[in-house]
Amino acid sequence: MKVETVLKAEEGDILGTLRSFLGKLLEKGIVDYLLVPQEFSHGRTLAQTLVKDPSHLDKANPFSPVMPMNSAAIVSQLTGDKPKKKLGVVLKPCEIRALVELVKLGQASLENLIIIGTDCLGTYEVEGYAKLMDEMEGTPEEKGARILADMRRAIVEPGATSLPISLRQACKMCNSFTPVLADITLGLFEEENGVFVSLESEMAEKLGLEVKEAPGRQEIITKLVESRTEIREQVFAGFREKMGSIVDFSDCLATCTRCYACSSACPICYCRVCFFRTDTFEPESERYFRWVEREDPLRMPTEILLYHLTRLNHVAASCVGCGMCESACPRELPLTTLFQAVGEGVQQALKYVPGRSLEEEIPLASFREAET
Amino acid sequence: MAEFEPKIVAFLCNWCAYRGADLAGTSRFHYPANVRVVRFMCSGSIDPVYVLEALLNGADGVLIAGCHLGNCHYQDGNYKAKHRVQVLKKILGQVGVDEDRVWLRWIDASEGKLFSDTIHQMVAEIRAKGPNPMRKPWKVWQDTVGFHLLEIESKLKK
Repeated sequence: MKVETVLKAEEGDILGTLRSFLGKLLEKGIVDYLLVPQEFSHGRTLAQTLVKDPSHLDKANPFSPVMPMNSAAIVSQLTGDKPKKKLGVVLKPCEIRALVELVKLGQASLENLIIIGTDCLGTYEVEGYAKLMDEMEGTPEEKGARILADMRRAIVEPGATSLPISLRQACKMCNSFTPVLADITLGLFEEENGVFVSLESEMAEKLGLEVKEAPGRQEIITKLVESRTEIREQVFAGFREKMGSIVDFSDCLATCTRCYACSSACPICYCRVCFFRTDTFEPESERYFRWVEREDPLRMPTEILLYHLTRLNHVAASCVGCGMCESACPRELPLTTLFQAVGEGVQQALKYVPGRSLEEEIPLASFREAET
Repeated sequence: MAEFEPKIVAFLCNWCAYRGADLAGTSRFHYPANVRVVRFMCSGSIDPVYVLEALLNGADGVLIAGCHLGNCHYQDGNYKAKHRVQVLKKILGQVGVDEDRVWLRWIDASEGKLFSDTIHQMVAEIRAKGPNPMRKPWKVWQDTVGFHLLEIESKLKK
């Protein structure tokens, strides 16, 4: 049975409280290894680390305000061969959703895996966050704590932020920012001076945690879901209005260089060898000259529409909306809006919600003879 | 200017739809020569990328035809086709492409007439839609085969 409790932060040191909680998971043997984001470069950026020794958690921040990649890909790599060691992974809700999709696609395993899901306050672009840290005054710890406090305020009062940067596009319109299917949930959506924890009662006992109620959480979540859904629908409506014809679609991808950054960053795009990176798309010069004979002028590089439409076909049903594609795009194409808006249409048609449950089969990977 | 002649690419499964097309021929059911047939071993092996490539290179319509559900030579290939085409059409519709340019039909080896009717119907509907806006200039080859068939048909009637 799941129980809830609140970890009180001593002297307002939320991160310190979290670090000692994570340390206890390692000490008590609940996990052998822990995958957790830690600060690098004097707090200017954060990235995932694999930790065994609890004393190496001094820079850990499970509520990392940046997301250099969707960590589901890391978990896929760590669990692909079904290891016997108990692995704890600290993931954001969209990373858990991507992991669930990868498990269903046979690319990851939940065996011996403990998912520590965090409430997500949203994330900033990696470059923007580093710049913000450079411009702020104080020690890295002070700056980090100030940003965290500001982000929490913005959750309770949507839009109330004093920071000069805004969240990533995908985060701005994200309405599923609380973890589902997590073994341990870490939450920041309630009282100011503590961390909400939900976990199995057995585990709570092992860790020596006292069960306490966490009031107010659901209220804040409901309110934020409402305001985010509104933003989301506005963005999608704007997108649909713009997509009048295929010309509008190619216009929105006009500066694509087919660099494959979006597919490399996408957690759902898991093929080892992408069809678009094969020799098929590196023809000899004569082919191009033949093409330009029948299509003049020829857009270079070629096959931009084929690439994005095919990626949509492969990904749309399982798109979890992490927005890594757009963050990775050097041309800043509106990819997350494209994939999420189109994805929503596909998912509704298939009555499928990616990352929601392990039992629901991915429609493109399941075939029933009973269907008509 | 001559009337717009749509070009239709038909991806047919070897066991049912292609045999159906064969039967249409041997039974002398006429169908317009706007259709270019590509034979696949199974409708389940038709990747959306083939359909997209056809549309982007000038096909005005794409027909995907396979065995009736439950009749697949490989058990469930046509279910795969069904799901893929459903997703493909949904995506095309949302990026400003008329999704009704892609047709999915189940045609049995014994349904030569159905194949011929399907092509007639599809050519008429795509003709009404006009050229595919995804289409690039593409060399049109004359529908000599079609006229040839018509001639034979009319001779037979005499």
